[in-house]
Formats: sequence, structure tokens, C-alpha cells
Amino acid sequence: MMVRTNWLGEFLKHSVLLAGAIVVLLPFYLMLSYSLKSPAEIESNTGGFVGSQEIMTDRRCIKAGKPPEECDMRPIVYNYTAAFSEAPLVRYMLNGVFVTVSIFVIQVLVALPCAYALSKLRFWGRDVVFGLVIFCLLIPVHAIALPLYIMLAKVGLTNTYAALIIPWTISVFGIFLMRQFFMTVPDDLIDAARMDGMSEFAIVWRVMLPTAIPALLAFGIFSVVAHWNDYYWPRVVITGNRDLMTPPLGLRMFKSDLDGNEYGPMMAATTVIVLPLVIIFLLAQRRFIEGITMTGMK
Amino acid sequence: MGHSRVHLWFIGPAVILMMGLLIFPVFVAAFLSFTDYNLGNPSFNWIGVENYDRLVTRSTYKKMFTASLTYVLLVVPISVALGLGAALLISSLRIGGELYKAVFFLPVMATLLAMAIVWEFALHPIVGVVNDILRSGCDVGLLHALLSGSWLGGDPLQSWYGHACAEDFPLWLGDKDYALGTIAFIGIWQGFGFNMVLYLAGLTSVPRELYQAAHMDGADSAWERFRLVTWPMLGPTNVFVVTISSIRSFQVFDTVEALTRGGPAKSTYVMVYAMFEKGVKQNLLGIGSAITIVFLGFVLILTLIQVYFVNRRVHYA
Repeated sequence: MMVRTNWLGEFLKHSVLLAGAIVVLLPFYLMLSYSLKSPAEIESNTGGFVGSQEIMTDRRCIKAGKPPEECDMRPIVYNYTAAFSEAPLVRYMLNGVFVTVSIFVIQVLVALPCAYALSKLRFWGRDVVFGLVIFCLLIPVHAIALPLYIMLAKVGLTNTYAALIIPWTISVFGIFLMRQFFMTVPDDLIDAARMDGMSEFAIVWRVMLPTAIPALLAFGIFSVVAHWNDYYWPRVVITGNRDLMTPPLGLRMFKSDLDGNEYGPMMAATTVIVLPLVIIFLLAQRRFIEGITMTGMK
Repeated sequence: MGHSRVHLWFIGPAVILMMGLLIFPVFVAAFLSFTDYNLGNPSFNWIGVENYDRLVTRSTYKKMFTASLTYVLLVVPISVALGLGAALLISSLRIGGELYKAVFFLPVMATLLAMAIVWEFALHPIVGVVNDILRSGCDVGLLHALLSGSWLGGDPLQSWYGHACAEDFPLWLGDKDYALGTIAFIGIWQGFGFNMVLYLAGLTSVPRELYQAAHMDGADSAWERFRLVTWPMLGPTNVFVVTISSIRSFQVFDTVEALTRGGPAKSTYVMVYAMFEKGVKQNLLGIGSAITIVFLGFVLILTLIQVYFVNRRVHYA
């Protein structure tokens, strides 16, 4: 069969996709652009992407009684310094890192041995436990947030890091994914390890864990993205204590604190929170897309 | 430690956590949905089905179901169609496919709450860039004629665009006729890239020989190839994508909480937001639990539909 290129068709396809890409990228463009420009330029939609960067005066700085020459700065500097000084952005980011990493580590510690037992050990009740895993896949954690919140409130754990982490310690999806993966690992590998006198614990962590790296990576991407971006659960269990807020929740508080024309600092904060994942995504695109689709079930 | 007991150490933590954090809460919600329980009050009354009765009779909850269902019915078909369309176009491109794929997937990765705030700025009725762009089209004779339909001889004021040019463009999130559609637009913007990658994965599993066979049988146009080969082979992917999008869009919360808080006039009062408002903010845990149970029911039905279709009709491979 001869392959002929339909140049007109190709052109039309690119036009449609390009139009779509512009709409998709519009908010990212605005976010970056607003984080660079002065309030006046933002409100009048002038100044192109970076704005004119004319020196402006920081009113809050004057109010704080500092000499005026210290308070004159370029909009880009003003926006980003205000973002970091008006809200504990660094704290939010560190909270986000701590919570997402803790969740992922605990999920693996719980799921990996269970997946190993379900795929490679024979014991009474194995099918029941696997049935339980499948059944639990039906329950989205966000749907049972209210009873979880009540339980945590009853034991006095709301407004703690524990509240942010506990509901996510069990990932039935992780168990399911790891089990499917371990099913493909040959039994000979495990038998050989047993012959060498390795304990079952050593087999899980020193034989199975290394073979599971690709699946773990996919699951890790899924887990970290989901929990870095999660807003609903932190919103439910953290009420008012800013020291515990994760990036999306902190950003939401920042937004409700602002008076009308603080778009610049607000967008600077948004950029700082959105950028880490976006940069990692652009660097490891293929892995991310694979990870998220492989785990697309949730 | 005997070999025969070691599995208990492996499955024990997982089983305990599943029971305690997934199964038990469902029972807690089911139980509390028949009470007037609230935090801070040690005792509670058994009130039977009163909470459920409220869900079906009160107009607030009618609006809640309407908002949730409308949102799902807007987001699912459009984001699935756009995902499929994007996947088909991208997979047939000679160059540049990877770039579009990355761009369309970007919103899936980005923090939705943060991007919702950006959309809110963009959709601001006065200073927002969306209405600014729309307004600028009004002064360009050709564009105005095209978009308002007056080039076909219609009265420009009768069309949406012509009317908006004469009066003004909508408030979007502040107008009860537009708010849910606007929230749905953000949902589609965020989610269609996810459907696209699922479809791209589905497309790679369609055997090449089938296209050649179809070609031999005289199916020459792109549409014929799609209708005879691609679409039937995508059966399992379709079921998967539709159920996943439905379950995901049923859970919409971030955009509603940050941008409209269920308003205006309860037009965006979706179920998860109602659960949050009643249960967490107003401490009405009975009614919140009843919404939880109904919500779980919906998710269960969607999943059962998926299982049914996957097992019955759509297996070709």
C-alpha cells in the first residue's frame, strides 16, 4: 500500500489541535503573566506577557513605616515577595511534601507485603481477603469523608498531620496493582531466595521490592500527584490552623484574605504551587502519562 | 516464626486498615443517616427515614440532585468526545503528536484548585480576559456578522452573540443560568486530557491488519475505517472511560467550593459540596450521612454498569 501524505488534511488537523492547545494553555499563560505584571496592567489587560515592569510603590511597605526608597520595586519583585511574605508559602510547601511523602511511604509499607501474600503465598482465606480488596475498590475515600471526619473528631485528631495522612494509609488500589504485577514474577525467583535461607520478610523487601520498581514508580506518581493536588480532604479536617495547611488549602486561605486588587501576589503564589509538578511532568512526561493511565482506575 | 503464620503479618495491617478506614465508615454513615447526631452533643435521637425523606421532598436537595446530574451529563459526554477526538487526531499526525499530548495532559496534572482560581480571574465579568476577548469581537464587523448570524440574514439581536454585544456578556460564575455550565467547562478543560491518554492507549491495541482488511473490503474513507474498525475495537475503552469520567465528575468539589459555594441560587449545589456544607460546616451529620449513602449508591450503580458491560458485550479480544 502506498503511503501518500494528505497535506491539506494534515494542515486541518494541526489547526484544530492548535486551537485546542490555545484554550488549554490560556490559564497557564494568564497565571504566569499576571504573576509578573502590576495591578494596573492586570486590570486593564495591557502590557503583553511581562508588562512594562515600571517601578511601583508597595503601599503595605509604606504603611509599615519603612523609608520610601525601600518600597519602590518592580512588579515582578513585588508580586513574588508579597506572595512569600503575606502567606507562609514555604510552610505550606513543606507540609505538602511531608504529607505526600508520608502517605506514599506508608501505602507501600502496607500494600507491598499484602500484595506479595495475595499473589505468592497460599493460605486459608486468601480469596476472601482478595475479595475484600476488590470490594473496597468500589469505595471512593472522598465519598466516605464525612464518617472518617466524625471518627477523627471523636478521637480528637482533627487539625493534626495525622488527620491528613491516616485515611490514605490504605490504598486498596496499590494492593491490587502490586498483586497484578507480582503475579507476573516467576515463582522460581522466590523459591531460589527461600533455598538461600532468606526469611519471608527479607523476600518481600529485598527480592520483591526491587522487581516492583516500575510498578511502584507508576503508583508513586499517581499517589503524589493525587495528594499534592488534593483539596477536599485537607479542607474537611484542617480548620483554621495555618501551620498544618497543604498548598491548595493555603492558597484558598490566601485568596479569601485578599482585598480586591492583589491579583499579582495571588497569581505568584499560584505559580509557585503549580510549578513543581508541572516541571517534573515536563521532564518525565512519558513516565507520568504511563503512571497516571496505568493507575487510571481511581 | 513459622512459615504458616507469616502471612498474617503481611495481610494483617492491610485488612485492619481496610476494615477500619473503608468498611466501618460506610456502616457509620449508614447508621448516622437514621439519627439527628451532631458533634458536641453526647446523645442523639433515632429519627427513622426522616433524613432520606428530606432528601426527596425538600427543594434544596432537588436542586442538589439536579446540579450533580446536570454537571455529570455535561462533563462526561463532552470530555469523552473531546478525548476521543484529540486521540484520533493525534494518533494520525505525522509530526507533533507528542507535543499536543503533553499540552492536553497538563491540566490533569496541575492543581485544580489553583487553576480554578486562575479561571475565576479570566472569567471576571469586568476585568476578565474572556469577556475582554469576546467584547473585542463585537467591534470587528466581519467577526460580529459571522458570530451573530447576521451574514445569513438573521437579526443579530436574536443571536446569543449579537445580543451579548448589545447588552453585555454574562457574569459567568455570578449568573445562575451560566454558573453550572462554567463550572462544567472547567471540569471538561481539566479532564479531557485524561480521557485522551486512555483512548491513545486503546488505539494502539487495535491490530493494524484490521485496517488493511477493511481497505481490501473497500472501506476507503477515514469515516468508514473509524466506523467499521476503530469504534468497535474501542468498546472496552469506551466503557472504561465513560465510567471513570462519571465517577470523577460526580466527585466535583474544588471548583464549586472555591468559586461559587453552591450558588447562585443553589444552581451549583453539587452532592459532595452539599455533604461538606451540611456535615462539616453546619454540623448536621445525620443529613450529611444520608447524602453520603445516596452518593455511594450512585457510585456503586455506575461501577456495576461498568462490570456488566465489560463482562457482556464489549469483549472482542
